[in-house]
Amino acid sequence: MRAVWRAARAAVRRRGLQTLVIWLVALVSTGSIVVALGLVDAATAPFDRVFGKQRGPHVVAAFDRNKVSDDRLTRAAERSGTAAVAGPFPQATMEIPRGAGDFGLGGEVTVVGRPGPGGPVDRVDLWAGRWPTRPGEMVLNRQSDWTADDLGKQFRVPSGPTLTIVGFAFDLSDTADVWVAPDQIEALHPTGTQMLFRFRDASSENRLRAQLAEVTAGLPKGTLAGAQTYLSLKHRVGSNARAYAPYLMAFGILGILVAVLIVANVVGGAVVSGFRHIGILKALGFTPGQVLTVYLVMISVPAVLGCALGTLAGNLLAQPFFRFVFTGPNSGVLRDSVGIAPWVNVLALLGMPFVCVLAALGPSMRARAMPAARAISTGSAPRTGRALGVQRRLAGARLPRSVSLGAGLPFARPARSALTLAAVVLGVTTVTFATGLAATMTGLGTAGTHAYDVTVYVGSHRHGKEVRPVHSDREIQSLLGSLPGATRVTARSDDDAVLVGSTQRVMFEGRRGDLPLDSVLARGRWMHRTGEVVAGSAFLRRNGVHVGDHLRLRKGGREVDLTVVGETMLDNDRLIAGAWPTAVALMPDVKPIAYHVKLGDGVDQERYARAVRAADPGLSPQLRGPNNITRTIVGSATALTLALALIASLGVFNTAVLNTHDRRRDLGMLKSIGMTPRQVTVMTVTSMAVLGALGSVLGIPLGIAAYELVIPRMTGAIDIALPSYMTDVWHAPELALLALAGLVIAVLGAFVPARRAARLTVAEVLRSE
Amino acid sequence: MVDEVGTGETVVRLDGVRKEYGETVALDGLSLEIRAGEAVAVMGPSGCGKSTLLNMIAGLDRPSGGTVLVHGENVGELNEKGLALYRRRRIGMIFQFFNLVDDLSALDNVALAAQLTGSPARQARRRALELFEELGIADRRNAYPAVLSGGERQRVAVARALMNRPALLLADEPTGALDSRAGEQVMDLLLDLNQIGQTLVLVTHDEHLARRCASRLVQVADGRVTGEHSLEPSA
Repeated sequence: MRAVWRAARAAVRRRGLQTLVIWLVALVSTGSIVVALGLVDAATAPFDRVFGKQRGPHVVAAFDRNKVSDDRLTRAAERSGTAAVAGPFPQATMEIPRGAGDFGLGGEVTVVGRPGPGGPVDRVDLWAGRWPTRPGEMVLNRQSDWTADDLGKQFRVPSGPTLTIVGFAFDLSDTADVWVAPDQIEALHPTGTQMLFRFRDASSENRLRAQLAEVTAGLPKGTLAGAQTYLSLKHRVGSNARAYAPYLMAFGILGILVAVLIVANVVGGAVVSGFRHIGILKALGFTPGQVLTVYLVMISVPAVLGCALGTLAGNLLAQPFFRFVFTGPNSGVLRDSVGIAPWVNVLALLGMPFVCVLAALGPSMRARAMPAARAISTGSAPRTGRALGVQRRLAGARLPRSVSLGAGLPFARPARSALTLAAVVLGVTTVTFATGLAATMTGLGTAGTHAYDVTVYVGSHRHGKEVRPVHSDREIQSLLGSLPGATRVTARSDDDAVLVGSTQRVMFEGRRGDLPLDSVLARGRWMHRTGEVVAGSAFLRRNGVHVGDHLRLRKGGREVDLTVVGETMLDNDRLIAGAWPTAVALMPDVKPIAYHVKLGDGVDQERYARAVRAADPGLSPQLRGPNNITRTIVGSATALTLALALIASLGVFNTAVLNTHDRRRDLGMLKSIGMTPRQVTVMTVTSMAVLGALGSVLGIPLGIAAYELVIPRMTGAIDIALPSYMTDVWHAPELALLALAGLVIAVLGAFVPARRAARLTVAEVLRSE
Repeated sequence: MVDEVGTGETVVRLDGVRKEYGETVALDGLSLEIRAGEAVAVMGPSGCGKSTLLNMIAGLDRPSGGTVLVHGENVGELNEKGLALYRRRRIGMIFQFFNLVDDLSALDNVALAAQLTGSPARQARRRALELFEELGIADRRNAYPAVLSGGERQRVAVARALMNRPALLLADEPTGALDSRAGEQVMDLLLDLNQIGQTLVLVTHDEHLARRCASRLVQVADGRVTGEHSLEPSA
């Protein structure tokens, strides 16, 4: 065994470059696979993990307190055979005026009287303070990455009691904004009763609705005021992560394919090019089994080291992505709970070395079975020529001979060339896909960015205290418009309202001015008259509404009829926007919460912001920054593309190294008859450039197909419809540039081995051969 | 068949040439002159430096010291491209193991040498075919190296060496890998070439080959010329 180990160690040392290539390919491939699979897993798993830990309710149902008693609800739930039930909990609604408190509350909030945070369903995470036990106390629903500084502060409910914040809890299912003790809730005039259900079959919306119907079957008609399933919550919470999933999945699959191909090529090539060494070992008395072991050890050592380091690198690289992927509603708790899943690390640490060993096993078994004399002669004896017809035609072609010789080389080693070509094809596919993705995401990210430059919010904070503006609404708008550099100003209001016919609360955005703000119109037109609104694709899809349909909104006992005249590219499923008169019709005392200012060309945004602060300390100007999601997708796609292109280039590099190694004798001879170093370089680079060009021809259509497959799924996940100009990304100049991608991958990979080949000392080569 | 060079003119002059490979001294101040039209055989024991000497003349390796002048050109001072052009224009090289490209036919192997200089394929093949006819292997022009006999392969290698009409033909153990009959044929070929004016330098262990083909014998030992004398061709 010692001899085997010594021979393997010597082989690793002797074949330094080959060992380095195997190590590098294993490292980059494993790292890419860990990042890709880790992110794919993270895109779907965290919600289930947190929801499961909290034993979240499959259905949150609100019943009319005047129509059904708590006892009857309890009996109905028990009879229906639900898996678990929590409640009944009295539920009230409080209207909180804006500016009345600074606790993240505002508008209409849901208060539930509940005896504790635990129970069979919906075990909320009480992360600060304690649960309210007597009147005058409350717990706010807040994510744990927020501050708990407000603990102990008091809040006076308009025309109601004063409540002290005694704790903060996080409930992923969002069953309440505020919890109070059951003794307190009566003072808040509850109108509903909340029941939280877990059902045995929670696989689909239909199954959940059917089981809820079983619960309510024996109850008086109209008892159920509203219900929300966890599936719609999951859809909303995970939309950002889900948007990433298809693209990460595409990169993951491409990464795995490229990595496996290259590893197989590198490892197989290492064994084949070592046949002569195998023959010598056998001649020395190594048994076939020992020869096999030597080769497997020789391959496994760098492969395992590369995989281990690649796994570590993948874990480190994945972290920055999580920070961006898990943004949006309730993302903090998800972000805290995600990381590279253990199965990904196990798969990378065991799977990649397994692939390496598997790739080495075939040629090693061949070497094991080969007689010593044949193994030795395989490395040095003249062999029968390959692809002779191709070589003959190329020899007569009107091409520089170094080019025609190079063009014929891939045909001499068809299996090796096919594996290399496959890796280049996948590399080009990745580059094409990523280019299309980046173009669309850039279009998405920059959509509407020219609409305004600065957002000025009403109210600011100085030394922990809120500062209100000294100017009135109209004065602020004219003030902002009069400051140097401003060209147009649009005021914006945001207020809760109820969509009549459902229990859904919507956000109505009123706009005073003619800026389209940051939304892009996908269909229809902008609103012009009172009663006309535009809504995002997500809102329309969720509510089954189309452009031209009518809606009715209710706010504070006032109802207005609206017509949807346009579909915007917004992914907010609660937002609709209308002109200012529409907002006034719904809420006569509506006030803007922000003003959007468009500056003239070349105007310094910072300078304008300073002027705003100086003009009214109660205003908070915010400069428009880049779109982080777009930046993350484009950035991560670029990084993954570069990684995969690098792996493909390493594959080409390896093939060029093996080819030049196999052809050292020919290279020596060619140089001896006058081939210049440049001609040697051209010949070697051409041999790989042929594969690169072919890779482009095959890879570009595959990349376009991947784009067509992935983009609709990404936009579908976040419920947005892209206008056609954003998906129409394939034009002749871009395609011409993409055609160079395969060539670039091939030339980059082949250049170093080509230069090495060009520098070969002829006398040395011919002597050693 | 070859460019005429005035007989008696010095074609190769080696002056105090040293070549070291690490600690090993392959050539130790070797000096030698070869005149146009001469056939010089270099002999000596294994490891004496005779192949290194040939490599220096061929521009396949650079001297560590001293000068190698071929047609007045200091080979040691040429850069890589200069060396390649020098080999292409002035040198024809024949190896013991032929060194043919397995994937190319015999004709294309020979035409290759001209094509590297930029000659069109058709013209290069025509010239190669002329050589094949002169060397008596025209019927084997489309065969591939793997199916040629040793003697045929070496004839193809000789044809390739002559393709660009070199001033100097260098042969390193040209019959070393051949059976006696094929060896005789190659010897005849080299003799014929020399008789029509081709300057020839042979490195060989084979005294019979040296006596048959060479007009002068140079003895090398320990990287130095230890003796030289004229030979009468044995015919």
